[in-house]
Amino acid sequence: MNVPFAGKDGESAFARLCDELRPDLFRFAFWLARDRQVAEDVVQEALLRAWRSRESLADEAAAKPWLLTIIRREHARLYERKRHETVPVDELVGSESPELAAAESQQTLDVRRAIFALEDDYREPLVMQVLMGLSTREIAGQLGLTQAAVLTRLFRARQKLRRALGGAAAGEGE
Amino acid sequence: MQCLEFRRAAGADPQHLEPAARHHAAACPGCAEYLRQMLALDERIAAALRIPAPGGRAERPALSSIPGLDRRRWFALAASIVAGVLVGTLLWVGGPRNSLAHDLIEHLAHEPQALAATTRPEEGEVLARVLERGGIRLRPEAGLVSYASSCRFRGRTVPHLVVQTDGGPVTVMVLRNERPAAPVSFDEQGYTGRIVPAGPGSIAVIGTAAAELEQVTARVLAAVEWLKT
Repeated sequence: MNVPFAGKDGESAFARLCDELRPDLFRFAFWLARDRQVAEDVVQEALLRAWRSRESLADEAAAKPWLLTIIRREHARLYERKRHETVPVDELVGSESPELAAAESQQTLDVRRAIFALEDDYREPLVMQVLMGLSTREIAGQLGLTQAAVLTRLFRARQKLRRALGGAAAGEGE
Repeated sequence: MQCLEFRRAAGADPQHLEPAARHHAAACPGCAEYLRQMLALDERIAAALRIPAPGGRAERPALSSIPGLDRRRWFALAASIVAGVLVGTLLWVGGPRNSLAHDLIEHLAHEPQALAATTRPEEGEVLARVLERGGIRLRPEAGLVSYASSCRFRGRTVPHLVVQTDGGPVTVMVLRNERPAAPVSFDEQGYTGRIVPAGPGSIAVIGTAAAELEQVTARVLAAVEWLKT
């Protein structure tokens, strides 16, 4: 069996991979949790878990989806612990989260707020696709959905964003 | 393929359309415009998703804090990364690269709206952003720009423009980091193109056989102003 992350070389390769992916893993966790501190905790825990289990990963190409799975599980665990601390999204927008209070441009800020307000069912596959570069088949695997269901969610996510941002969305088969 | 089917596909995954959908967009101006809007929306979404990530060592646990990765291994890892970068650089500089023309056509195949004829100009704000990211200015004599996008090409973000001409739409890619020794002409898969050294890199102009590439290339070369980046 191929074990790409075994031994000293494997340790180095895995550490390098984690360093490369860490910024996007953090972003993914942020958009999952919509909270910077939670995202940092999730990524920290997830990478430690991944490190301990790295030799179970047989295919280097599968590392990214594998890490996303660990982050999603860790987020679910942390979410259970912190559920009582959460606040409504409307209260977060523009006040609690620095990511929504400042951006390079007003346009980016508007899009960020619109994504922030999307329901989890739409936001998560969209982030997986656009930020993480997962195929719809990979997203379906992550979310336990059919590929057709993923396509529907992605379509609706974009329509909702278009509407929120003032673009036309009607008459497009939603 | 019907328009409704196309729009559901383009609205769900605009970056990865099936060949049938690409053909539909090439033949249907309305759907080509819809696809252009979806790709522009995706660009905005991607920019919005890239929130600042913790970057400094102080903000995140060092690799050496990971169990099992002691100080000696950390130095070994650092040395291996340096060695990797050196080897990678040598390979990049010394190794063969794929044909630039082939890569350009591959890129176009993923953006079928490139060959949609239209009289509608790109939104000024979008065009300005694409030009700014590409480190260029474009004078009006280039012609009507109907499409502008910052595209990933060979690991770089480059301006991808479509200029409408009497001979049909022509794609212009501004390649700051690709500099052929001499102008290159090519004719592949129904596309005719020229890659001309310009500024610090080159400009590629691609269209169909009917397009007046020579004239368009000259016009674009004269209209592009390279900025220091």
